[in-house]
Amino acid sequence: MNYPDTPAHQLAARVQEKPDLLDQMPGDYAVLCSKSQNLQIFISFEPQAIFQEVSTIKQRLLAGKSLPLAGATVALGDNFCTAGLVTTCASRMLSSYEPPLTARAVDALRVQGSVIIGKANMEEFGLGSTGNSSHYGAAKNPWDPDRTAGCGAAAAAATLVSLALGTDSCGEARQAASYCGVLALKPSYGRISRRGVIEYAPSLTQPGLMARNTRDLVLALEATAGEDPGDPTSLKLLVPGYFSRVHEGRKGKGPLKVALLEDWDAVPTLETEVREAFQAQLDDLPKAGLEVEAVSLPSFQESSLAAAVISAVEAFSNLANYDGVRFGYRAEGPSLQEMYTATRTSGFSSKLKQFITFGALVSSEKYYTSYFVKSQKMRTRIARELESCLEEYDLVLTPTVPFTAPRLERPRVAWQLPDPAHFFTAAANLSGLPALTFPLLSPSGLPVGLQFIARFGDEAALLKAALLLEKKNPLQFPQPGFKDQGGCGR
Amino acid sequence: MNELETVVGLEVHVELLTQTKLFCGCSAAFGAEPNTQVCAVCLGLPGETLPRLNQQALEFAIKAALALNCSIAGEVSFDRKNYFYADLPKGYQISQFFQPIGTRGYVEIQSAGEIKPIGIHQLHLEEDTGKLLHVGDILSSPFSRVDFNRAGVPLIEIVSEPDLRSAEEARLFLQKLRSILRYLDVSDCKMEEGSMRCDANVSVRPRGSSALGKKTELKNMNSFRSVYKGIEYEVQRQSRLLQEGGEVLPETRHWDEGAELTRAMRSKFLSANYRCFPDPNLPPLLTSRERLNALQEAIPELPDARLERFVREYSLPRYDAEILTATRELADFYENTLAVFPVPKAVSNWTMGELLGLLNEAGQEIGTCKITPTDLGELLKMVQEEMISRNMGKAVLEEMFASGEKPGVIVEKKGLVQISDEGALAEIIARVIDQNPKSVEDYRGGKKKAVGFLVGQVMKETRGKANPQLVNEMLKKQLEV
Repeated sequence: MNYPDTPAHQLAARVQEKPDLLDQMPGDYAVLCSKSQNLQIFISFEPQAIFQEVSTIKQRLLAGKSLPLAGATVALGDNFCTAGLVTTCASRMLSSYEPPLTARAVDALRVQGSVIIGKANMEEFGLGSTGNSSHYGAAKNPWDPDRTAGCGAAAAAATLVSLALGTDSCGEARQAASYCGVLALKPSYGRISRRGVIEYAPSLTQPGLMARNTRDLVLALEATAGEDPGDPTSLKLLVPGYFSRVHEGRKGKGPLKVALLEDWDAVPTLETEVREAFQAQLDDLPKAGLEVEAVSLPSFQESSLAAAVISAVEAFSNLANYDGVRFGYRAEGPSLQEMYTATRTSGFSSKLKQFITFGALVSSEKYYTSYFVKSQKMRTRIARELESCLEEYDLVLTPTVPFTAPRLERPRVAWQLPDPAHFFTAAANLSGLPALTFPLLSPSGLPVGLQFIARFGDEAALLKAALLLEKKNPLQFPQPGFKDQGGCGR
Repeated sequence: MNELETVVGLEVHVELLTQTKLFCGCSAAFGAEPNTQVCAVCLGLPGETLPRLNQQALEFAIKAALALNCSIAGEVSFDRKNYFYADLPKGYQISQFFQPIGTRGYVEIQSAGEIKPIGIHQLHLEEDTGKLLHVGDILSSPFSRVDFNRAGVPLIEIVSEPDLRSAEEARLFLQKLRSILRYLDVSDCKMEEGSMRCDANVSVRPRGSSALGKKTELKNMNSFRSVYKGIEYEVQRQSRLLQEGGEVLPETRHWDEGAELTRAMRSKFLSANYRCFPDPNLPPLLTSRERLNALQEAIPELPDARLERFVREYSLPRYDAEILTATRELADFYENTLAVFPVPKAVSNWTMGELLGLLNEAGQEIGTCKITPTDLGELLKMVQEEMISRNMGKAVLEEMFASGEKPGVIVEKKGLVQISDEGALAEIIARVIDQNPKSVEDYRGGKKKAVGFLVGQVMKETRGKANPQLVNEMLKKQLEV
């Protein structure tokens, strides 16, 4: 059996029946993932840990437990805490940090039988998806190693794992999925606990789920969604059975009504590749059972700016605990003040420092009202606009990112604020609404993403739409670049 | 130069007596070994900074705000106050900057025989920081260690209006505040343990002026006495400066307890910009009418009301009532004793005179006293019924204070029961008269004082158990026969 290629839901069914199938997994993975090293997809990867996880799962299966994600392989962004396993956030600041606790979402996946394969490379502290800020060197795109990969999605795209988790604060998980040609779901704010997730912008962040097919995404969501009293922003809404929701018919409801963002193609940074792939899909949507109308959302275009200001202010404060006093990296200095300065100067990348400095600036007395408060007001307006549009439509439709994965040697969009990669994605973070990216291929064979945004709490609508598209567009994972590089060939 | 007037406003930090910290489940108890009451949340570890609001702390803060006559905010919200310091684990303190839980309240003090309301500008809830431990003095210490046990303990900060006009008023205000908060059982307000901390904003101005003078902020006053002395010193210093034509610099000054003077601290961080903004992890909570009503109802009778009732109901002198209502524990003790022995003035005398004397001597408080109100009541009954003399009563009280035994047990064990039986005494009296003809002669010869010697002899014979009054009467009767 070939683990990585098999969808998680199929694998689980087979392993449930025959737990012995798990025996060869650790060995296979040791070979598979060591071969992936030149893509720098993982920061830490411990075959020994996989071996232990697998034998635990096998015991539980043999004891008669039913595990919906039995044997499902998972890559965790390295900002999800794992007790006993170094959690670096791709930063020098945490290069040897072992957290005492494990993120709740990770525990939830393990309970359902999944195996944590390793900690995925990412942008430092999960900030953005198109820079080059990892302390461990940038993760490379399996489709083209000269391009960026973002967080976690590369591991799924390279068929190293079935599922990946990465944070989504301004769209990072969806952007990574768009660059790497996989699905990603950012649930409604509060749907998945943030406990044990190291984030830079708490009011915007949700753990993002990435997979190669919709059914696996459904399983991952069912495993991780739910109230957590340890997270004060955790949703108290009942978690619906997504699987039945997604598969129930729409009797008497007609096709899904989709609002297409008007002027989506007027975005200055929009690449031809994206325009063509997205337009082609638009033409096919009615056949898939989606009814599309263009709708004007005038504030939508302000979302990446509002998100930049708000997330920078939150990051300035949220990353203040990295001071060298209690844990993590410390540079020596003759006084407390000098120790702080030395630690934060050499512990953070210049990208992160610029961002934090921007946050300190726009929250200072002088700019608080004109930048921070103004952005919060804009945030409310963007959310209202989307919510009222979604009273009439089931989904809002946009491209996911205006461009294909940026080239690593030329991170042209790396340090612009607002980040142009956030143009279509940040609105869902600002409004707390759930959003999903579905992978398309551009005419020249590069991955591109199509994004849906749904009503608050209605992840089912997103998954349903993804399933409809999936029927018409069998997902493609040729990973040409990856194989040519001899990265993880079989 | 006109006569100068003192203007003082206080900022008081009070630790709440909750079991656990404000945003995590760690114990908030005082005095544990350093860094034994900490967890991932209050240490601000990566990914673990999600706060869970302690509802008891919130209720304590609301009760305090209600007791200080504040308006209560319609929703409870928290903000981040951002700054770097080694005792601040997250790099920000969770506080209430934009919307304090209580505003526009007042407290009444009695100054120069008159009741004077002191405005409360605001009361807000926040988390405490850790504590730095230096080797000797902060400036000469080669390194410092941090104890995070205190980090995250719930605090309320109470900011008064600049309504206080003397160091004495500041002390009275602080004492009243402590009394109220202790009555509410929301804090033990121990300045020496740091569960009550006070900074003072002090300025002077020409009497009659309504503008405020330049103020200094006074820190490091660790007792009521040092608050008084620190302000007093600062007022003198500022007045002298102004009278000499100088100017008061707006600065933070440190009260040096040993040298009894204030010193300017380096004003490096004086104009700190805390960049406060709403904490995204704590969505605002609505304070429902029902919850507020329930909390209002749970507020006990406060010290002023209780004092008035003691004067009215028990006809106590105001002086007695003030002392007895100073703490809720003492007032409860008094009233519980009354329930057993309903003679208000007698209980007051014994409580204030004897019991408080013993407590002071031992450096104890009523809360840790081994004597129960029931036991004190029983003792007073014995004295009233002349089972034992007043002096015996005092001795028994001391014994009770030391051992916690019941008065009946002590009296019996020591054979202290007073002999008030005339038959039993007559024999002894007759013997004493027989053995002391000289004193008898003296008495009959007009030296009436000689009876004292004879009473003493009877007391000696009975080892102090005879009822002295009765002995006195019986002796006189015998001698005048």
